[in-house]
Amino acid sequence: MIKASNISHFYGNEQVLHALSFEVHQGDFVFLSGDSGSGKSTLLSILSTLLKPSKGELLIQGSSIKKGTDLDTFRQQNIGFVFQFHYLINYLSVYENISLAALKEKKKNINGLLQELGILELAARYPNEISGGQRQRVALARALINEPSIIFADEPTGSLDSKNSTLVYELLSKAVKKGTTLILASHDAQVENYANKTIRMRDGKIL
Amino acid sequence: MISLKALSKNPFKSFLIFSSITISVMAIFLISSISQGVIGMYSKMIKTDGDIIITQRGIADTFFSNVDISLLDKIDLIPHVQSSYAMIVGASPVGHIPIAGIYGVSTNHLAHYKLSKGSYPKRGEVLLGKTLAKQLPGRSVKIGNKRFRVSGTYTSDIGFEEGGVVMNIQDAGTLFSRSASFILVSSDTPSHTDTILKSILPLDDDIEAKTTQNFVQEYNQFKIIENSSLVISSLAFAMGLMGIASVMSMIVNSRKEEFGIMRALGKSRLFIIKNLFLETLIMSLSAYLFALILSLGILALLPHIEMLQGYVNGALSTSTALYVLAATLFMAFLGTLLPAWFASKTDPILLINQGCS
Repeated sequence: MIKASNISHFYGNEQVLHALSFEVHQGDFVFLSGDSGSGKSTLLSILSTLLKPSKGELLIQGSSIKKGTDLDTFRQQNIGFVFQFHYLINYLSVYENISLAALKEKKKNINGLLQELGILELAARYPNEISGGQRQRVALARALINEPSIIFADEPTGSLDSKNSTLVYELLSKAVKKGTTLILASHDAQVENYANKTIRMRDGKIL
Repeated sequence: MISLKALSKNPFKSFLIFSSITISVMAIFLISSISQGVIGMYSKMIKTDGDIIITQRGIADTFFSNVDISLLDKIDLIPHVQSSYAMIVGASPVGHIPIAGIYGVSTNHLAHYKLSKGSYPKRGEVLLGKTLAKQLPGRSVKIGNKRFRVSGTYTSDIGFEEGGVVMNIQDAGTLFSRSASFILVSSDTPSHTDTILKSILPLDDDIEAKTTQNFVQEYNQFKIIENSSLVISSLAFAMGLMGIASVMSMIVNSRKEEFGIMRALGKSRLFIIKNLFLETLIMSLSAYLFALILSLGILALLPHIEMLQGYVNGALSTSTALYVLAATLFMAFLGTLLPAWFASKTDPILLINQGCS
């Protein structure tokens, strides 16, 4: 599914990732853990194609992610993102935020997905009219709408209380059970209860 | 849809762009219309009153031209000449009015000015234009160093003529120390204009004769007005352009996160550029319509402002409206180009870096 070979990354002269190699399989729930500055966000950015590694090769579903790859289409078709601060567009309603991300043929599934996540009644509301937990569920719906093969989540519960955090983890686990691969970077040790694989990082290396 | 929502969510910045476009477009509209209006009025005055105009050779402006009025007798003898008349155009303080147009005309042309009160002027008398008469209610008026009796008032289809004074050409000759500024000749049929022109030229070495059509096209003053209008319009365009570009840059900067989200969701750079262009296009078109309505209102008001004595008059043609529309769209396109380009290059990694813990 994902094969990282000797991935290294530099910010200027500073090396933040040191020749990392690992594999992630279809349907894995990978917990990327580590302290601040351990390199987990940089690794997540590289795995999610948002950042090109300085060295090494990244294969996703057998395709090498290199210069010339149409990343826009690749991301829209294969990848879902959930960020710490939900990053919903504040002038679009809940429905429109999801519709913006949805592929044309998936738009018909929006209401069903909102129903499944228990937020259908919020469809016409705007992000500033709903709670933090509800916003993160909308962000989750946006990540799931195209039924991506991989979801990358960066501290998805970082700004949520424990009740809402558990709800988000359960919803993500549900997606994993359906065959989606999930790579989740977090400080929250609770994630380990849901993940089937943990990558622990320190100083840019896998422990 | 997204563009409209984005505009309504950023009302202040949208208003700034809207105002910037409205002001520039209105400035372009007004300066173009007023210059066209001035040129149009003067052209109309010359073109409708004759087919040929005779001025002093080598003189750039009819105000400084001096043509021998006795030429009229010789011109009238040329075959196919239907009529001819001489005119002096000048400007002078009139009563307490610091400057007004003075039209000294030969007796056979006085009927061009439609009497609304009184009678046509004899020697020592003047006829006041309707607009000027409102500001000079007395029975006599001082022009230059001489006092003239007011014989009546007139109206004219040409706006600025109503802000002037008509007098006998002999009186105007004394006032401005010249015989005639120009002579206008009408032919009995348009096909004879060239023949008449050829017969006029040998009459005096110190004259230049042109068809009024050619004169209007080549007249230096019109070129100066047109060029000045073009320069001011270009400045207004540049100011609008800078306004759009700077506000769009502010908008792009404040919405970086949004563009990052779009990029992370797999939206193409073209999608972002297209949406930003659409936002500016919506604002430009509404600002254009608003500016057009305001300009039409101002142009309709101008002839009624007494202080302007009818000299400032605007004519807004369809071609000007289309030219300004094209300029507005071009301005919007140019002003959005760079900000939209930078917006589309937003790196979605900022979304992870901002949340980086």
